[in-house]
Amino acid sequence: MWTLPRLQTLLASLLTAVFLLWLIVPFAMALLWSLVDPGTPWSYPDILPPALSFERWTLMWETTTLSTAMFNSYTLAPVAAVTAIVLAAPTAYAFARIDFPGKAAAQIVTLTPLVLPGFVTAVFFASILVSFGVYSRYGAILLGHVVLFIPYAVRILTVSFAQVNQEVINAARDLGASGWGVFRAAFWPVLKPGVLASFLIVFILSIEEFALAFIVGSPSFTTIPTILFSYLGYDFIRPNAAVVALILVVPNVLLMLVLERLLQSANPANVSGKG
Amino acid sequence: MPKAVKLALLLAPAFGLVVVMMSLVIWRAVAQSFGLYNFNGEDLLSLRHWAEMFATRRYWNALEWSAYVATTSALITLAIAYPLALWLRKPFAGSYLLSALLKAPYFVPGLVAVFLLLNVIAFHGIVNQALMWLGLTDRPIRLQNDRNGYGLIALQVWKQLPLAFLLLQGAVQAIPDPVLNAARDLGAGPVARFRKVVLPLTARAMQAASILIFINVAGDFTFQATVGPTRENSLATLMVQYQGTNYGDWNAAAVVGVTLMGLSLVGAVVFTALVQGLTRAMERA
Amino acid sequence: MPGIDIEGVAMRFGQVDALKDVSLRVPEGAFVTLLGPSGCGKTTLLNIIAGFLAPTRGRVLFDGQDVTGLRPEARDTAMCFQSYALFPHLSVQENIAFGPRQKRLERAETARRVTGLMEQLGLAPHAAKLPNALSGGQQQRVALARALAVAPGVVLFDEPLSNLDAKLRDQVRTEIRDLQRRVGFTAVYVTHDQAEALAMSDTVFLLNGGVIEQSGGPRDIYFRPRTRFAADFIGAANLHDGPISGGAMDTPFGPVPVDAPDAAHRTLCWRPEVVRLTEAGALSGKVAHVAFQGGWLDLFVTAGGQTLRLQVSGTHDIPEGATIRFDIPREAVVVLKDGANA
Repeated sequence: MWTLPRLQTLLASLLTAVFLLWLIVPFAMALLWSLVDPGTPWSYPDILPPALSFERWTLMWETTTLSTAMFNSYTLAPVAAVTAIVLAAPTAYAFARIDFPGKAAAQIVTLTPLVLPGFVTAVFFASILVSFGVYSRYGAILLGHVVLFIPYAVRILTVSFAQVNQEVINAARDLGASGWGVFRAAFWPVLKPGVLASFLIVFILSIEEFALAFIVGSPSFTTIPTILFSYLGYDFIRPNAAVVALILVVPNVLLMLVLERLLQSANPANVSGKG
Repeated sequence: MPKAVKLALLLAPAFGLVVVMMSLVIWRAVAQSFGLYNFNGEDLLSLRHWAEMFATRRYWNALEWSAYVATTSALITLAIAYPLALWLRKPFAGSYLLSALLKAPYFVPGLVAVFLLLNVIAFHGIVNQALMWLGLTDRPIRLQNDRNGYGLIALQVWKQLPLAFLLLQGAVQAIPDPVLNAARDLGAGPVARFRKVVLPLTARAMQAASILIFINVAGDFTFQATVGPTRENSLATLMVQYQGTNYGDWNAAAVVGVTLMGLSLVGAVVFTALVQGLTRAMERA
Repeated sequence: MPGIDIEGVAMRFGQVDALKDVSLRVPEGAFVTLLGPSGCGKTTLLNIIAGFLAPTRGRVLFDGQDVTGLRPEARDTAMCFQSYALFPHLSVQENIAFGPRQKRLERAETARRVTGLMEQLGLAPHAAKLPNALSGGQQQRVALARALAVAPGVVLFDEPLSNLDAKLRDQVRTEIRDLQRRVGFTAVYVTHDQAEALAMSDTVFLLNGGVIEQSGGPRDIYFRPRTRFAADFIGAANLHDGPISGGAMDTPFGPVPVDAPDAAHRTLCWRPEVVRLTEAGALSGKVAHVAFQGGWLDLFVTAGGQTLRLQVSGTHDIPEGATIRFDIPREAVVVLKDGANA
């Protein structure tokens, strides 16, 4: 509105190019580094690695705890997601469909895990575990992830429950549907995208979560982020970091894209037929 | 079943769980900072751990550093995100792609972002390779963990930009065209429209964005531990050092942890006041 | 208080011609309406007068001065928006004071205007409220007060009543017309509601497909439509196609009189309420359907497979199935320009 269209397009293309380069170049380098043959190192002045192989990937798989870490991450995430959804649903129902004094405050309080610094939560959660003599790292991190990410599930499901049309519920009852029948006819079609979105978001966040996994889990219990952390920083082992970074980011970006789609289709106008 | 009981049962699994766990965590941090739950000796309610910490230079350095990085990152992020949100209010050729790219860091986990940055600035990173190839230097320069924390702040800004952009874009796009047209019609030029209409109507989003960024950055461990200046500590890295195997001093860690929560709170209050003051001053000017 | 001249204005959005060569004149202090269906270009024209849009071709003149290139903030216009477009963060009082403050009016004068307008429009009790605490009618009045506070020479109305309920609409309509006479400004009013246009305007410009279909006083435009579109869009109309001979057209209902020379093929048009029920009427038909509307009766009368719509006083009691006789005054029948063979 305030700028000349030509200048605007020029500026936009320039910025787009810069952002694209900044994303593409390091990712491309990550891919290359992960494929550098361990026997023939890549160093100045070679523009491209002298030899490429999957050797590094196999080496990482066989000699490091990567496989265990992947197993841990990928079993924690779905369990945390399902648990969070199951626990979040009743509260979301109450937030969406029951009026009670202090509801707004309760909804805000539910968000506290999101604003409390992650490492404070992690350290004093660990302190509580010590006091209670809990030694199951897996169970502890699972509980931690459920608490940390349940606010997302509650929020998404609250929106979903609020979209359930009372008239459709009444119509289902009117036509003789039982409790289960009402759920299937009036609730489930509206809730489904929200449930899927909740699952994906908790899943993704659990895979990426570092603070709690690091504080509670280290040094014996590893997840993908804690392994990546060990290769970064002062002693930067680039080829190893490249492998783990790709393992961490690629599936999550794909899932994020699915999530975006879902959240768009969870639009009230599409689900309830009510604008 | 009475209504209240039903409600309590519905709220218990998620709301109840969050309240119980978060109160336990916060209580634990506060209590340990005052000497309770002492794992290394007897529980004794005292100000000793605070007093000891106040006498420690590293503590004040970490507090100052965290506050500095958080404030700087929040201000820079807003300064970048706000003009972009205003500019991209109306779609034009290429604006969707640019918007999408601005949100991309949201998809990249923090640790991966660190890795990407290291690829660029490490000893054998792109920048050094390019400098050497151009003959500007014959040995790689140390860019990683730079003393001033430029790399750290740049990474924080990059990572926090999507949040600020999303919040501000939402607020800016929520201003109806007729409202801006009405202001124009009544004699308000571009500057007056911004000061008197756009700014007040986006103040809340700016507040929310600045507070969230401040809290996120103030509590940072990962970036500080990987790309931050090696001689500095953030409150989170200091806390983990006290708690971790090196010291095992949970009470000291608690003092740092409570300080971090306090800093977040102070940051929230300060940024709220700052944005409100700015908005009012601009409206009157 | 300027008069407005629109000279050969055209507006193109991409491949779409929103306006094609429109010229019109709004005399100083007049109340004119741009009437038409959605997409006819009326709002585009209003936005061009306000300066929000720059026309692809043509000029806009205020009192003979070319203002086509002038920014909206510098024009002597104020608009009342369909959505009201009140500033949500400002109180009623501050909303009204926005314009005077932008124009750097003296404080005392601003206060005088704001108080005066709130007084006149019954907004004084709501001075400190935010817009979202007001009813639709009150918001509409704030929008009006805000526009009038800059003492504009021209007030532009963009369907300002379309979000009000019917009763309120009648009331605000009268208020707007009163204010216009009292305060004195040139008014350009956009609406798709023909009743509104007829009730308020000195002149109606009927737009269709980006051109002015017909213009004139409300009576003229209602009783003497020149095209099928004008006949159809404004109220109900009865149409007959056929030859004219000896000052009448033969129809299944009987001869319809018309003041026109003989012709092989013409279309006649008359309004339902010009009809006179009389035993000696030259026309007749069978009443197929009666709809009692309170003040009047709608009669649907058939003959030879055609249907006419007649409107008579509600005091009549006519049963369905009856045969009635009626007359149509010659002066009430017009020949359409775009009728058959014309």
